[in-house]
Amino acid sequence: MQDVQKKIREEARNLLAARKVDLVIGFEKGTIPCRTSPVFVHKEDDVGKLVWNSFCEMNLATYLTKIDKNKKVAVVAKGCDSRSIVALLVEGQVKREKITVIGIPCQGMVDRRKIERKVEGEILEAEEENGKILVKGSSFEKVFKKEDYLYSSCRVCKHRNPSIYDILIGEKVKENTQVDEYADVIEYEKKSPDERWQYFEKEIGRCIRCYACRQACPTCYCEECFVDSSNPKWIDKGVDLSDLAIWHIIRAYHQAGRCVDCGSCERACPMQINLRFLTRKINKEVKDYFNFEAGLDPATPPPLATFSVEDRQDFIDSGEGVKETKL
Amino acid sequence: MKEKEPKILAFLCNWCSYAGADLAGVSRIQYPPNIRVVRVPCSSRVNPLFILKALQEGIDGVLVAGCHPGDCHYISGNYVARRKFAIIKSLLEYIGIEKDRVQFAWISAAEGARFAQVVKEVTEKVRRLGPAKKLVKSEES
Amino acid sequence: MKKISKKEMNKFIQSLMADYTILAPVNIEGIFFFKPVADFQGIDGEYKNSKKPPKEVFFPQTETMFKYKDGKVESTEKVKGKRILLGVRPCDARANLLLDNVFAGEDYEDIYYTNKRENTIIIGLACNEPSSTCFCSSFGGGPFSKEGLDILLIDIKDSYLVDTVTDKGGKILTGEFKEATDKEVKLAEKIKNEAEKKIKSRIRIEGIKEKLDAMFDDPFWDELSERCIGCGICSYLCPTCHCFDIQDEAKNSQGRRVRNWDSCMFPLFTLQASGHNPRPTGKERMRQRIMHKFNYFVENYKEVACVGCGRCIINCPVNIDIRKVLKKILTI
Repeated sequence: MQDVQKKIREEARNLLAARKVDLVIGFEKGTIPCRTSPVFVHKEDDVGKLVWNSFCEMNLATYLTKIDKNKKVAVVAKGCDSRSIVALLVEGQVKREKITVIGIPCQGMVDRRKIERKVEGEILEAEEENGKILVKGSSFEKVFKKEDYLYSSCRVCKHRNPSIYDILIGEKVKENTQVDEYADVIEYEKKSPDERWQYFEKEIGRCIRCYACRQACPTCYCEECFVDSSNPKWIDKGVDLSDLAIWHIIRAYHQAGRCVDCGSCERACPMQINLRFLTRKINKEVKDYFNFEAGLDPATPPPLATFSVEDRQDFIDSGEGVKETKL
Repeated sequence: MKEKEPKILAFLCNWCSYAGADLAGVSRIQYPPNIRVVRVPCSSRVNPLFILKALQEGIDGVLVAGCHPGDCHYISGNYVARRKFAIIKSLLEYIGIEKDRVQFAWISAAEGARFAQVVKEVTEKVRRLGPAKKLVKSEES
Repeated sequence: MKKISKKEMNKFIQSLMADYTILAPVNIEGIFFFKPVADFQGIDGEYKNSKKPPKEVFFPQTETMFKYKDGKVESTEKVKGKRILLGVRPCDARANLLLDNVFAGEDYEDIYYTNKRENTIIIGLACNEPSSTCFCSSFGGGPFSKEGLDILLIDIKDSYLVDTVTDKGGKILTGEFKEATDKEVKLAEKIKNEAEKKIKSRIRIEGIKEKLDAMFDDPFWDELSERCIGCGICSYLCPTCHCFDIQDEAKNSQGRRVRNWDSCMFPLFTLQASGHNPRPTGKERMRQRIMHKFNYFVENYKEVACVGCGRCIINCPVNIDIRKVLKKILTI
């Protein structure tokens, strides 16, 4: 970790000194334990702010659509972040020559909420060393093994190494090819429709329409999001359950073929809503039926902008009788 | 007490399924009066938001019908739509919306009788489900 | 000062349910919400503060203002029945007083808000263990402050000391209340002093308005707003933020007018019908937020619109820390 951090600072310094980039987007130390904050480094003198640790959980690719697109920018990217960058390239949202990807093979990010639940009281200090997280409070001191407290998105991640990079920092890591990434989706589908609806309502019912999920997501970059449309007004702006449901259903739907399962939406959500449970179903469908995974190949067109004559239509009544859809 | 009749919204593409519906009418083929038709130029015009908004407003079932693959007036509209429909249908079922609330069909302009048949089947399936409740926006928050 | 054992407290609250709706902190998946309770079993030991501030009890996130159907209008400003809001922290109670400036001020009375305020009795819970993100004392508050409360409860392990702050609060205290012993009062004093010492974050807020007055065009705002992703978490979870949007939800001859929370951090907030937006980027919006809370509110109501509850610090997805922001402003 310290090694990687050192190299990030070096590379950032070199890029800024040689005027190859106008700015470097990375992470800096947070103001509270177990946090980092995205930092925009414009000057070589400030590269010392850059850090790298297991709390660098945000997907920095989200800034690529928020900044001045004429700027040359270097961005620190984990496996998932680089896949978001590829997704943005596929959709023509960033110019390849304007970005320098500082790719970092990732071993996963720590879910601080899981750790918070295991201690009695507030965490006042946190340190990371050799795969262990040491947390201290006013009445406790505990050590946690990092690999036991990863975000759920990290535990099923099959693309830890960046799929795109200009600079690679650190050695490539072994991919976790054995994980059954959609086991939770398959498990969930065994429930009855009413049970599934109940879970769905319970989760999205906590939503406060803060749109942190949308803002944190790199592929949510629409200048006017459908929820902000007033002509037509698709859904109302309050927290009525029906509006919350449609907000989340359509946001997940709009992610089809674009979501890289970075987990930023879940991590940003203040109400800790299980947002990935929707996008993962979408990702599974896209993989099973269109044989596509977002963020791996900048040359493959997005699946919903194209088609195959052989696409599934077992759910459509075409006169040959509707086959029972596999649930 | 007489059960409330289900209200079904049918998005019919102008060139095939709407023409098919028209043929059913001209041929005086009877079919249940529960559907409300919205004519669209192509099945790909149907935004999943239409379907969800309809369910929110209290519609009991939605039928989207287009041309058979290969026959689209706009060449590939229904192919692209097919992918969209696959995703939205899977997602709605996944979260617990009853399978038969949202249905899709390919109906050609020559299939008047078949149009009536499809509407009969769709109406029956939706009637069996009862009035839609899950996404309906209630007045009280 | 009165006192009551925690067991008796539960019974007492239960007895009040005949006449009042009790809103208490409820633990849902590890997050606390103020919700009506039918069976009060005490305040969860894990309770620090609610995720959503108690402003939502008086100023709900989604509120129907009136309904209409076939020519008849039904106004919905009157809350049904009396309520008791239990477990409010002193910072949030103080925040309600700041909101009163806006909703129940001299020039304008918001009947939706005032009706709820009048019909709610607020029972606060002193903070024995402030968090590292708490900085209420920087704004004139404190972990045992009584501002904005009708009753203050002080947790002394097996019982609560009950400090009656207003007559409105005193009226309901008709239960198994004993007099606290000198020892118990001294214990409470001790806990109070320790709690006040625990608040390590201190910001010298004097002069912030004057600083901000001179800073409108400072490059500071560019740097600050860079990392902000433009969500509404800080405004929605802030106990003093109060902006809202009114919408009509209509269908033919019936519908309702609804008020929803809105956030100045959203681009749509100042988007005009012409398409022009006077706050086009995150920079203008971030600047506005800080200016409103620490400059314009001071100008209008002589108070800073922040109570140091720390919710924005804990919940901001990019860890923008208002304490860091204020300290930076004060040193420019």
